[in-house]
Amino acid sequence: MPEAYPLPSNLSSATVTNTASLLRIVTLALISGAAIASRLFAVINFESIIHEFDPWFNYRATRVLATKGFYEFWNWFDPTAWYPLGRVVGGTVYPGLMATSGVIYNLLHALNLPVDIRNVCVLLAPGFSALTAWATYMFTKEMKDPSAGLLAAAFIGIVPGYISRSVAGSYDNEAIAIFLLMFTFYCWIKALKQGSALFGTVAAVFYFYMVAAWGGYVFITNMIPLHALVLILMGRFSNRLYAAYSSWYAIGTLASMQVPFVGFQPVKTSEHMAALAVFGLLQIVAFAQLVRSHVSSQQFQKLLFIGVVAIGILGAAAFGIMTLKGWIAPWTGRFYSLWDTGYAKKYIPIIASVSEHQPTAWPSFFMDLQFLIFLFPAGVVVCFRQLRDEHLFVIIYAVMASYFAGVMVRLMLTLTPVVCVASAVALSTLLDTYIDPTEPEINDDTVSESGASTASAPAPGANGTSHPTTPKKTKKAVPPPQSTSALGQIIAASRSSNNKPRPKGIFGADTRLMVVFNAMCLLAFFVFHCTWVTSSAYSSPSVVLASTNPDGSQHIIDDFREAYYWLRQNTQEDSVVLSWWDYGYQIAGMADRPTLVDNNTWNNTHIATVGKVMASSEEVAYPILRKHDVQYILVIFGGLLGYSGDDINKFLWMVRIAQGIWPDEVQEPSFFTPRGEYKVDDQASPTMRNSMMYKMSYYRFAELFGGNAATDRVRQQQLPKVGPTLDYVDEAFTSENWIVRIYEVKKEDPLGRDHKSANAFSQGKKRKRTKPAQRRRAIL
Amino acid sequence: MLLFRSLLCAIGLAGVVYAKSSKGDSVLVVVEPKQQDNYSIFFNGLREQGYDITFRAPKAETPAVIEFDAPSFAHVILFAPDTKILAKDLTPQSVVDLLSHNTNVIVALSSKQTAISTLAAEFSLVLPPPGSPLMSYFPERTDPATVVPVPVPASHPMLTPNLPPVWFSGVPHSLGNNPLLVPILRAPSESFAAEIDGGSADALVDAAERGGEGLWAGSQLGLVTGFQTLNGARITWVGGVDIFSDEFANKEVVKGLKSGNEQFVRDISAWTFHESMVLRIDETTHHRVNSTTPLEQYTTNDQIVYEARISSYDPKTTTWVPYSGLKDLQLEFTMLDPHIRTALLPVKGQPGKYSVTFRAPDRHGVFKFVINYKRKGLTYLQSSTTVAVVPPRHDGYPRFLSAAWPYYTGAISTSIAFFLFSAIWLAADSRDQKKGKGHKSE
Repeated sequence: MPEAYPLPSNLSSATVTNTASLLRIVTLALISGAAIASRLFAVINFESIIHEFDPWFNYRATRVLATKGFYEFWNWFDPTAWYPLGRVVGGTVYPGLMATSGVIYNLLHALNLPVDIRNVCVLLAPGFSALTAWATYMFTKEMKDPSAGLLAAAFIGIVPGYISRSVAGSYDNEAIAIFLLMFTFYCWIKALKQGSALFGTVAAVFYFYMVAAWGGYVFITNMIPLHALVLILMGRFSNRLYAAYSSWYAIGTLASMQVPFVGFQPVKTSEHMAALAVFGLLQIVAFAQLVRSHVSSQQFQKLLFIGVVAIGILGAAAFGIMTLKGWIAPWTGRFYSLWDTGYAKKYIPIIASVSEHQPTAWPSFFMDLQFLIFLFPAGVVVCFRQLRDEHLFVIIYAVMASYFAGVMVRLMLTLTPVVCVASAVALSTLLDTYIDPTEPEINDDTVSESGASTASAPAPGANGTSHPTTPKKTKKAVPPPQSTSALGQIIAASRSSNNKPRPKGIFGADTRLMVVFNAMCLLAFFVFHCTWVTSSAYSSPSVVLASTNPDGSQHIIDDFREAYYWLRQNTQEDSVVLSWWDYGYQIAGMADRPTLVDNNTWNNTHIATVGKVMASSEEVAYPILRKHDVQYILVIFGGLLGYSGDDINKFLWMVRIAQGIWPDEVQEPSFFTPRGEYKVDDQASPTMRNSMMYKMSYYRFAELFGGNAATDRVRQQQLPKVGPTLDYVDEAFTSENWIVRIYEVKKEDPLGRDHKSANAFSQGKKRKRTKPAQRRRAIL
Repeated sequence: MLLFRSLLCAIGLAGVVYAKSSKGDSVLVVVEPKQQDNYSIFFNGLREQGYDITFRAPKAETPAVIEFDAPSFAHVILFAPDTKILAKDLTPQSVVDLLSHNTNVIVALSSKQTAISTLAAEFSLVLPPPGSPLMSYFPERTDPATVVPVPVPASHPMLTPNLPPVWFSGVPHSLGNNPLLVPILRAPSESFAAEIDGGSADALVDAAERGGEGLWAGSQLGLVTGFQTLNGARITWVGGVDIFSDEFANKEVVKGLKSGNEQFVRDISAWTFHESMVLRIDETTHHRVNSTTPLEQYTTNDQIVYEARISSYDPKTTTWVPYSGLKDLQLEFTMLDPHIRTALLPVKGQPGKYSVTFRAPDRHGVFKFVINYKRKGLTYLQSSTTVAVVPPRHDGYPRFLSAAWPYYTGAISTSIAFFLFSAIWLAADSRDQKKGKGHKSE
C-alpha cells in the first residue's frame, strides 16, 4: 500500500501503546494545568474574592458548614434572610457544593494545611474544571477514540462558555455540576455499552451527587430516559439497556430523594415523570421479550395487542387522576418559559427580569464557543455516520441543548460540553483522515475500497447493531467535517464519482499539510480567543469594578464593599436592610445584616412588596417600611459614573413585579412620559418623580454640579435643577462614586405627626390649616 | 462606698416628705424676673419636693436649654405666655427638640398670639383666635367674668380625688384627634370664649368652624391638657399662667373653702415631671415550658412561657416597686401581623410579675414578642423581643408513623421475598444447569 510519508516501522506495538498512553497522561495533565491557569485571571487582575451574587450565599453557607458541622448546616434556619419570613436553608439548598468544599477544607486541615475556607471556595471551580476536562476526555473516548477525547478535553478546558461560570471566585453550583454532568453521562454510556449494573450504579451515585449540587440535574433526569426511549423506539432494546437503565433509575431516584430540597419531587412532579414512565416502559418491553421467547408468535400478537391497549388505558387514567388530584404537580412556570419564550414576560416577570434567563443573542454563541460552533454540526453528522447507541446520545443531547441554549443564556452552559465533544469528534475525524499516511490505489478497486472505509471510519464499532455504511452514504456524510480549503477537492471528487463507487483518499503530503496546517491555525486562534475572552469579559468579580486611568493603569472602583462595610460597622447588628433582591446575598455575605429579599427568589409577594416600596411615593411606602422593621434602604445608582447596571435601569422590573400583585396601586404606564418614553429628566412623569427609587437615586445629585445642569451619564439625560426632597428617610451614606446610596428610615415622629408636616414644621414653614377660613376671606 | 450609701439612706429617711421625679431634679423656669414671685407657692412646693430650680428670663440666652445636643435640664417650665418671641433656643422647634430629648415641659398660654401658641397646632390643639379668653357668668360672683372657677373631675387618675374647684383665667383650646393627648381639665359647660380681649367676632366664628367644635363653648373645650410623646416625654399645656399664681391659690371658691389650685398644679406638675403614673418594664423573659433558659429560637408548636416584670415609680420613697395593677395588658406574637394576641395577666402571689403560656404558631419565621401598652396618662410600655421560630430539626420529627405502615410493609415484604427468592434459587440450582452456565461463561 502506498504511503504519503514514511512511518518508522521498527517499533514494537507495545512501545507505541506505552508511548501513546504516556503522551495522553502528560497531555491531560497539561490540559488540566491550562484549564486551571486560565481561570486565575480573576485572582491575578483583582484579588482572591468571591464573585457576583449567588456565590456570596454559597460562601456564607459553606462557612456555616465548615464552622458548625454538617448537621447544624442541615438544620440551619437563617432568620436574617427574607426577613421576617426567614429561610430554612438546610431544606432549600442544593448542599453538594458546600459539602464538597467542606470536605476539602476538613481534609486539608487534617493534613495540617491551614487553608482559609475562602480560598477553598475561590479555587474550587478551577479545580473542578480540571476534573471536567478529564470527564469529557473519558466521555469522548467512548464516542470515538482517545485522541478525540484529548481534543474534547482541551476544548472544554478553555472554552469561554464554560469558563464564564467557573473562573476562580465564581463559587456557584455550576462549578462542580458540569463535571458531574459529564461524568454521569460517561458512566451511563459505559453502563449501556457493557450492560453493566456496576456502571449503572456508579452513574446513579454521580447522579445523586449532581442532584445534591445543582437544580440542572433535571437535564440528566430527562436526557437519559429520552435516550433510552429513542433506543426502544428504534428497536434497539437490549438487555444491556435494561440493566443499565434499571440500575441507574432505581438507585438514582432513591438516592436523589435523600436530598431534603428534592424530597418526594421525583415521584410527584411532572419534570420527573418521563424517567418513571420510561422505567415502566422498559419493564413492559422486557416482559414482552420474555413472553415472546416462550409463546408462539400468533399468541404473542394477541397478547401484545391486549396488553398494549390495557396498559395504555390504565396509564392514561392513572396519570389523569393523579394530576387531577394534585398528586403530580403541574409544570412549573420556569419550565413553561423554556417552551414559550414570551411566557415569563407575561406571567412571571420575576423570572424574566433575570438577565441570564433572557434568550441568547447570536453573537454570544461565537463569543462563547468560537470555531467550535461551526464544527459542532459536523460532529453531529459524523455521529450519524456510525450511529451506535452512544452516538445517538450525543445527537439527542446536541438537539436538546441547542434548543435550550437558544432560549436561555444560562443554558449555554449545558450546550458547551456537547459542542466540545462533537467538535472534537469532527476535528479528530478530519485529522485522522488527513494525517493517515495511507494513499489509495487507483488500479485495484477492491483494495482501495477497503482502504477508504478504514480511513473514513478509523474506529469501527464491534457493535452488531450498527448499520453497514455504504460508500455513498459515507461520501454524503464526509463533506461537512472537512474544512473550507478541502471543500473544492471533495466536491470535485464526489462529482467525479457520481455513477459508480470509486476509490477515494488523499494523495500526496502537500494536501495533507495544507489541511492540517489550517486546522492547527484554527486551534491556535481558538486558544487566543479563549484567553482574550476569559481575561477581558469573564474575570470581573462584579463586586469590584475596574476602569482604566488616562495613563492606562487600572483604577479599581470599590464602592460596593465600601458601602457594605459601612453597614457592617455603623449599624445595629439586627437592623434590617431593604434593597432590590439582586443585592440580598451580598448584603448578607459582606454586611452581615438581615435583608428583606435576596437572590433566592422564592417568594414573589415579598419581592413585589419591595418593588412596591420603590415604586410608590414616600407616604405609601413608609407604613410598609415600618411594618417590615426596615431601618436602612440601599439603592444602586450609576448616574454619576455611568454604571449601567443600576437600580433605575432595573426599576421597570420592580414596577412590573409589584404590578403583578397590586395592579390597582402600581401601574407601569404611569412611569412613562406621555410619549411612552422612560425618562428621568424634566419630562419624567409625576409618578416617576415621586417614586422612592427616583427620589433616593437623585437626592442631592444636582448639588454635585454646582449650578450647572446635572447629567445622568447612564441615561444621558439632564436632570431638573431642583432635585427631589425626602421626608421619611434620611441619607445615611453615599459611597465614593455614588454607586451605593444608603438611606435610614426615620422613626415615627414623637408627636404622632406624619413626617411631611413634621419636616415642614422643623424647617419653619407655616402649617396650613383646613380650607374654610380662606373661603370666607374670599367672600370679603 | 457602703458608708456613703448608708449616709444617703439616712438623708433619704430624714427627708421623707420629699417626692422626686424619676427623671431628674433640675428644672428650668422661663419667667419674667418681675413676675417670678407671683408663683412662689408653686415654686416653693417644687423646691420642697427636692427640685432644683433655675430661673431664666424669656429673652436671656443663658443657661442654654440644650448644650452640645444634650439637654441641660430634666424639666422646663415656660411661664412667658405674653412674650412675643422667646430666646433663640426656645423657638417652637427647639421645644419639640427638647421633647425628643426626653425633657418634660409645662407650657402656659395666653390670649396673645405668640410663637408658642403656633406650636400648639403641632400637638393638635386648636387655639381660639387671639384675644379670645374663656369667660363665664356662672356662678354669680364678684370677680370679672374671665376669672372662672372650674370644677375638677372627681376621679381623674392624675389628680387628687375630690379637689375643690380651681380658679382659671386664660384661653381654652379644642382638642384634635391625636391619641397622645391626655385631657386633664375641661372648661365648665356654661363657659365660652369671647373676643373681649381685643379679638374680633368674625375671627371667632371662623375659628369655630375650624375647630370643628361648633361654637367656642362648652365642656368640650380643654383648659389643661397633657400630651405624652411616643418617646415618653410629657408636656402639659395650660390655658393661662394664673392658675399657678399665689393669688388664685389663696382665693376662696366659696366662703371658707380655699380653691384647689395649689394641689391641682402640684398634681399636674407631678404628672408632667414623671412622678405619678410612671411605669416601666423591668425585664421580659421567655422560655419553653418546663425549662428556664431563654432560647434564641423556638420550634413550631412549642409551648412558650413569656414573663414580664413591671414596676411603678413611687415618688415618696423614690423607688421602683413591683406593680400588679394592670388588668388589660396584652402580649402579641408577631410576624408582620400578630399571629397570637393574648392577655398578659398578673401572677398571683408574685407582685409585678405578668405571665402567659401559649403555643407557638405552626409557622416558621422571625417573630417578635411585643408588648405595646398605651393608655392615656400612663407611661407607654413598649417591649419587643425578636426570636426565630424554626421547623423541627431533621431528627426532631416522630420516628415511626402509623400512617407509614404500607411503606414499612412494602419494604419488609420485599426484603423477605428477596431473601426467600435467593435461597430458593440457590437451593434449586441443579448440577445440569450449573454445567450449562459454566459452558456459557466459557
